[in-house]
Amino acid sequence: MSTLQFLMDGFGVAFQWQNILFAFVGVLIGTAVGVLPGIGPMSGVALLIPVTATLTAGLPPEAAAASSIILLAGVYYGAMYGGSTTSILLNTPGESSSVVTTLDGYQMARQGRAGAALSIAAIGSFAAGIISLIGLVLLAKPLSNIALEFGPAEYFSLMLLGLAAVSGLAGKSMTKALMMTVFGLMLGTIGIDAVSGIARFTYDLPILYSGLEFLTIAVGLFALGEVFKTVLERDQEEGAIAKIGRILPTKQDLKDSTVPILRGSFLGFFIGVLPGAGATLASFFSYITEKKFSKTPEKFGTGAIAGVAGPESANNAASGGALIPLLTLGIPGSGTTAILMGALIMYNIQPGPLLFDDHPEVAWGLIASMFVGNLMLLVLNMPLVKVFAKIIQTPKKYLLPIIIAISFFGVYAVQYTTFDLYLLLACGVLGYLLVRNDFPVAPLVLALVLGPMIENNMRRALTISNGDFSIFATKPISLVLLIVAAAWLLVPLLLKFKGRAIIVNEED
Amino acid sequence: MKALSFTISKGMINVLKKMISVSLAGVLALSLAACSSGGETQGAKESANYPERGMAIVAPSGAGGGWDLTARSIAKTMNNTKLIEEPITVENKPGGGGAVFMAEYATKEVDNDYMLMVKSPPILINNNKAEGNSPYGYKDTTPLAQLTRDYGAIVVKADSEFNTLEELLEAIKADPTSITLAGGSAPGSMDHLVGILPAFEYGIDPKSVKYVSYDGGGEAVASLLGNNADVIATDASTIAEYVRSGDVKVLAVSSPEALEGELSDVPTFKDAGIDAEFTIWRGIFGPKNMSDGAVDYWSGKLKEMSESEEWTKELEQNGWQSEYKDAAGFEEYLKTQEQVIVELLTALDMQK
Repeated sequence: MSTLQFLMDGFGVAFQWQNILFAFVGVLIGTAVGVLPGIGPMSGVALLIPVTATLTAGLPPEAAAASSIILLAGVYYGAMYGGSTTSILLNTPGESSSVVTTLDGYQMARQGRAGAALSIAAIGSFAAGIISLIGLVLLAKPLSNIALEFGPAEYFSLMLLGLAAVSGLAGKSMTKALMMTVFGLMLGTIGIDAVSGIARFTYDLPILYSGLEFLTIAVGLFALGEVFKTVLERDQEEGAIAKIGRILPTKQDLKDSTVPILRGSFLGFFIGVLPGAGATLASFFSYITEKKFSKTPEKFGTGAIAGVAGPESANNAASGGALIPLLTLGIPGSGTTAILMGALIMYNIQPGPLLFDDHPEVAWGLIASMFVGNLMLLVLNMPLVKVFAKIIQTPKKYLLPIIIAISFFGVYAVQYTTFDLYLLLACGVLGYLLVRNDFPVAPLVLALVLGPMIENNMRRALTISNGDFSIFATKPISLVLLIVAAAWLLVPLLLKFKGRAIIVNEED
Repeated sequence: MKALSFTISKGMINVLKKMISVSLAGVLALSLAACSSGGETQGAKESANYPERGMAIVAPSGAGGGWDLTARSIAKTMNNTKLIEEPITVENKPGGGGAVFMAEYATKEVDNDYMLMVKSPPILINNNKAEGNSPYGYKDTTPLAQLTRDYGAIVVKADSEFNTLEELLEAIKADPTSITLAGGSAPGSMDHLVGILPAFEYGIDPKSVKYVSYDGGGEAVASLLGNNADVIATDASTIAEYVRSGDVKVLAVSSPEALEGELSDVPTFKDAGIDAEFTIWRGIFGPKNMSDGAVDYWSGKLKEMSESEEWTKELEQNGWQSEYKDAAGFEEYLKTQEQVIVELLTALDMQK
């Protein structure tokens, strides 16, 4: 049977009335999970596994597995749609993959363009969802092989490229951005080292053994930092916030977003395919790329719609891409896909090289249902934009306590420790002081994500090569990534040496 | 659990009406979620009513490895047979070959009757090796039962030039730098020990064998399939699926006798002329200060489960061998096993 035939059979499964219902419930809960900070996609899916097990109890095993995975996957990609909402409106990222959305999304909201930001996020997510699904249908097999090609050396070079691109997150001063990057890398070394098992910078405090939680730091720096700023600087502009203009993006907005959405979708999809890289990295890469390719990079950080459209598309596309190693190799690329895999195993369906042969009904049913689910999400999210956008009109005296409450609940629900609440507070104060003194916090956050991955993969690669650094240059994919990273750093410098005229020409 | 989803969807309707109410509903849903899947226990006085809510079994690794599969099988069997009505969730807490979660378990969660842990020989190894030592061992837990035993497997890619364990060992002996061994746990821990055990017995300096550690067996398999490792040491049970798909071949298993099922043709270390065996037992542990009520509850339920038909089926599907020991027998067994491992580590010059 051809791929098309399999896909048609998949739609046969997806269009059974109970599966349409399951997909709808999944994406509905997913949207809620995405909007509510603290209950991330991972805990959302985990909490629902027993519920779906009960709901599907009467069905034959194969059909039960298909139905529950349709619902659970709905939660997974549905959460990617909703994740941007609090980032844009409250500067409070609910999921790590929407941290970067705060940079321009929140600025847009402050300018009264919350509606445009939210709807472009929904539209971008939809486009990315469909693009990554088409990629999944057509390229699953060859891409799973490329994912396998990605060994420690390739991962190291990819992460290095991410770090080189950190300049894209710099504010006024490159020096300050680099200082923040190093600070983030250093924070990333705290905890028990995954390669040797040795405790570093833990001062025998067991609470530090698992390292610092990324989300705690991001929420503290972004959301609480902003709260402290408003409170301490007596930012009494109540009512001064611009009225929400239109809900739908303008023609110009759409024009500015089309290319970022497409680029973000492709970038996100390919990064998502790599196990371990994930949606967070995809969103960062997309933001940095958009800024690099933009004709007006100086607008980024002040409410550029491309800075919302790109990353929001990328994190959605990554969630589609991440299904490839899961379904074709049995290798989960993220915490959430690991839980999805666990759900399949519960039904005695082993994701892996034989899944598409042994259980086509489940695999293709899931893929087909995701087309349906993405459409539902678009229809579901567009009207919600209108409602959510109004939150920005809430007076500051009500809004600030809500932000604080959401931040604390969110962090506690993920970590269950009071230590993280103190850390959250400390990061809030730190975030305020840093931003006040023009130290950009985004490089710190990105370095915190990248640091451990760079280190572990570098040490793995060097073990493989017996300590020979040439492994990074002799592997083709790794070499290409290194060259891109070098170009990223050097080209602007060279242009600068050659004089301003060229830069102006470049940007025309 | 149904109440949770109901709260959220109800919250969604409220959203359409009033903005303030969404945050209230959200807070409500969050606190529900927080209560149901973790948090502090109220101490021993409530143990008579144990369990009052859902429980979690932690697999201290990424998904897809042996601990993970065992934890999920226990959760599934307990809930499907209605032995335990409260939902049991499985949590993955990877890092440091299990040492990261062990530290958390022996300190932060030491009173948490609602969090159990699946573990295997690393609980002994980590506590006794010099590098990456975990200050916490099985004595910092309450052993509840041993459930299964599994064996290690030496695995190469299907198109590998090596067809026997001896060929592989000869190649390592000739040039240790030419062969990369990978596993899903840190150096000095189980996958590493399984991998270098035959080499050590063959007369190769175990310290010269190149070993790369990944976060869990799944990533190790990926490194093998992607030609980033020449050979991996992993659990015999998790590799069967990849043997069936024709992606890998297993050179030897660490069992005393040939296994059943997919790997029945594979020679044991002994068949291959290596006088060694290694058993990977898996058991379930409670926190050190687990209340008596909770210990009794789980001891009883685990014994019932180990005798159930569903559990037998579960074992068969995963290719595991059943070996049930109750809490007392398990603790005794751990004591003798610890001695064996200390001896092995000493021979490898890696003891504490």
